[in-house]
Amino acid sequence: MTNPTDAATELGELTITRVYDAPREMVFRAMIEPEQLTHFWGPTGVHTPLESIVIEPWPGGRFETTMVPDGAPADAGFVMKAVFVEVVEPERIVFKELDGDMTTESTYTDLGDGRTQVVIHQTNMPAMYRTEEAQAGFKTSLDKFAVYLAAKVG
Amino acid sequence: MADDPLSSTFAALADPTRRAILARLAEGEATVSELAEPFAMTLQAISKHLKVLERAGLVVRGKDAQWRPCRLESAPLENASAWIDANRKIWNERLDRLDRHLQQIQRTQRQSGQNRTST
Repeated sequence: MTNPTDAATELGELTITRVYDAPREMVFRAMIEPEQLTHFWGPTGVHTPLESIVIEPWPGGRFETTMVPDGAPADAGFVMKAVFVEVVEPERIVFKELDGDMTTESTYTDLGDGRTQVVIHQTNMPAMYRTEEAQAGFKTSLDKFAVYLAAKVG
Repeated sequence: MADDPLSSTFAALADPTRRAILARLAEGEATVSELAEPFAMTLQAISKHLKVLERAGLVVRGKDAQWRPCRLESAPLENASAWIDANRKIWNERLDRLDRHLQQIQRTQRQSGQNRTST
């Protein structure tokens, strides 16, 4: 894996780009097969039990996981329920969480040398605030917000 | 307005004027007319923005009937930025683990390939 980049493209949005030393089909399959997802979906210190994972990889299909902190009982986990908006093998997956409207898009690009670039793009904002005006506001004044945060910390 | 606090924080921040007001208040308390000064806006327009910030809990107005100085309340902002940070951390760790997973399955594939040729 090379060039991990990570940028908050807009306030309330997240873009992460990674390059994996693996063929595109393999990377894509890892994202839609429960037997694989269970190995990496939970962050450090958290696991995702196989029996909690539902993946119906087609538009409108369910995507459900439960992330359980290591050592905690299974019912103490964080349940995510989403539906797939788009599944285009092996290029693109889009799912939308039922609670909070967060949309996550992942794209898979074959770099031609056996490596695959993955871009995760997440829009966290509830749809009602994704107006043109709000978007323009995010784009133009992030610098002022950065100054504000710097002032607050200092 | 949004029902959950995080959404109302994001909504309140979705405007350059309101972010500039917060940036000014980060330097210290200010009255509405002081806040209006750098903008080509009426006091009413500024007051409207302040109301949105107040509803989001980002700004608190003083009790003094005449001046009612505005003060920054940073807790909701910390929640919003903590949430963004936590979300980013989860994805970064998840993608790190995906890398290890992909290396592992490729190792396993190579090994079973070698076993096949050797037997």
